[in-house]
Amino acid sequence: MHRKYTRRAFNAGVASIAVIAATDGTGALAQEKVVKIGITVPLTGADAEDATRIKDGATLAFDEANAKGGVAGYKIVPVVYDNGTATAGQYDPAQAATNTKKLVADPQVIANVGPEMSGDGKAMSPILSEADMATITPASTNPDITNPAMAHQFRPKGKAVYFRTVTTDAFQGPNMANFYKERLHVKSVYVLDDSGAYGVGLANAFEAQAKKIGIKVLGHDQLDPREADYTTVLTKIKSLNPDAIYYGGVAQAGVKLAKQAYETVPKMIKGGGDGIQGGSFLKGGGFPAVEGWYCTIAGPHLTESPAAAQFMRDYHAKFNDVPSDYSITAYDAAKVILAAVEAVAKSGKPMNRSTIRDAIQSSHVKTLQGEVAFDKNGDILDRTVSVFQYHQNPNAPADDLAKQQKYLGAAPQTA
Amino acid sequence: MTQWDILLQQVINGVSLGAMYSLLALGFTMVYGIIELINFAHFNVFMVGSFIAMWALVAMGFAGQSHVLHGLPLIGVLAVAFLATMLGTGILGVVIERFALRPLRNVSGTAPMITTIGLSYILYNVILLGAGADSKNYSNPMPNTHWDFLGGVTLRLREVLLWVVSLVLMVALHYFVRHTKMGKAMQAMAQDQEAARMVGIDVDRVVMLTFFLGSALAGAAGLIFGLYYNYTSYLIGYKAGLRAFTAAVLGGIGNIPGAMIGGVVIGLIESLGGQYIAVRWTDVIIFSLLVLVLVLRPTGLLGRAAPSKS
Repeated sequence: MHRKYTRRAFNAGVASIAVIAATDGTGALAQEKVVKIGITVPLTGADAEDATRIKDGATLAFDEANAKGGVAGYKIVPVVYDNGTATAGQYDPAQAATNTKKLVADPQVIANVGPEMSGDGKAMSPILSEADMATITPASTNPDITNPAMAHQFRPKGKAVYFRTVTTDAFQGPNMANFYKERLHVKSVYVLDDSGAYGVGLANAFEAQAKKIGIKVLGHDQLDPREADYTTVLTKIKSLNPDAIYYGGVAQAGVKLAKQAYETVPKMIKGGGDGIQGGSFLKGGGFPAVEGWYCTIAGPHLTESPAAAQFMRDYHAKFNDVPSDYSITAYDAAKVILAAVEAVAKSGKPMNRSTIRDAIQSSHVKTLQGEVAFDKNGDILDRTVSVFQYHQNPNAPADDLAKQQKYLGAAPQTA
Repeated sequence: MTQWDILLQQVINGVSLGAMYSLLALGFTMVYGIIELINFAHFNVFMVGSFIAMWALVAMGFAGQSHVLHGLPLIGVLAVAFLATMLGTGILGVVIERFALRPLRNVSGTAPMITTIGLSYILYNVILLGAGADSKNYSNPMPNTHWDFLGGVTLRLREVLLWVVSLVLMVALHYFVRHTKMGKAMQAMAQDQEAARMVGIDVDRVVMLTFFLGSALAGAAGLIFGLYYNYTSYLIGYKAGLRAFTAAVLGGIGNIPGAMIGGVVIGLIESLGGQYIAVRWTDVIIFSLLVLVLVLRPTGLLGRAAPSKS
């Protein structure tokens, strides 16, 4: 009796799901014009906090567009995939590749926002090139991906598919080396990286420029981000006694490095790139460990700019959180894609990945950071790198990034 | 710093690491000694221990490293934290043994070992889902007291604490195994399970106790890890666990003093290898040495060739 009842209920459930699926699949999509846009960032693992702010920045742009009735008659449907995995504990290039294949397999997806991490970008770019689909990264800065000399590897089809609303580590690392020399008067430095694609590239770019401008590089070691103990390498650094440390990498190793460096070499100048400019580093590291650390972003500092004031209010109202600068570059990236959708719709060309890619390539879009335009490799024309320093503000919430660091200005530009 | 100062500093670093590996290695070696099972859940019992300890400290009102205690209050708070953590992970170990491993006790082959790998993943994912994936800023009431001597060698209070706690726990364990009735029952079990049963030893109780003690030591190691590094995350079990397991094998699996020595040896290799070769070669050096020791002395440093107990 009991068993019969449950089976009947189960059958009814299956039937109703089938009905819903049928109406959803045929009815809704046929009536309304829809374009899907991917968002791929690592929402699991050590990068989750900053990745969420990037995702939210892009989502806000799409929601605003839909609230106005869509773009040129198209409803925007964001498709969010998580590039992080529990096994990696942070971003995972293998997962990024899988997600990209999923996006490419859906013909309604016309472009993508992301990734946050260059390691993911390296895995994604060749797949996107094959599909002729553009992605705009609001945060990943490794120069290899857009380097024309490495085009056979990252864009085998030739056309640029990897666009950026931030500049690359070819400027982020070297400009910081200039900052070390000119503003901090550093004469010797020890370089560390976290063995990831982004970290190694950034640290190498910094090291090359440091040598060029006469900063003595006393050594370069690679940290394993899954290792707990960095006191060994820090003791080695202490014995060499450089003026400063430069760390290329993301928060997972950065948090541990900050904590242990605070104990081993508390007075040394310490700095890094945009991998440690964010909530994950601040919250995981905490004061006093992160006090005094310098960090950069590969773009202009926007969250305090008048142009972004409305964005800051809307973002806070919607997500009850304080956006990062990369929330704004993500918002800008989304805006560039929306402008491309509008341009393609107005031109009367078919709405697909190739036309959208071409529209992005030739776009000049007014965004929160000013006019965004790309060179033929997909890199943004603006090359500003902004420098920050963590400084405790006991009156503000401990995880409020905007209040717990000072903006020090743009780093001296490398020609 | 002169060459000798650097060496001394790296030895201090290495012994600290080693003490932690030793505590963790004891759990592997005890369980193997009694029921010949390699318990991979131990990796993440250690990780769960560091979280239990952090929550205990948060419950006592500590957040981050801002609230610092000295003297007796510090000892009191740490004692409570150690007790809560060791009890927590001890019970976790008993639960794992009772519900997941005891039903498989008489199953031959690798099924029990594979089960422990599964359990390890369950613990890992429970913490991932429950506590999130970001690195946690550990609650730590210890002051940043340290002593500098010679040409810049630093000895920190937390290193001293690490050594003292590890030593006390290891001596206590040694005393327990050698001189108490229950400990002697454990030794008897390790030598011959069948004969132990014949003379009236309650096998289930001894196994349960072994899991309790091993897991409690892993919990203590978890708390020490948090206090030492000021951070924890759901990921910490793998690296530390693998090193500790290597330490147990290196010292001679099943042998308690061997696990202690193995842990310190691994810790020293890690710090000295990092100083004089390169940090990224640490694992290569550790595992090469392991292979070398096992080729030359298959029973490990202190292990004795025991007849197979099938």
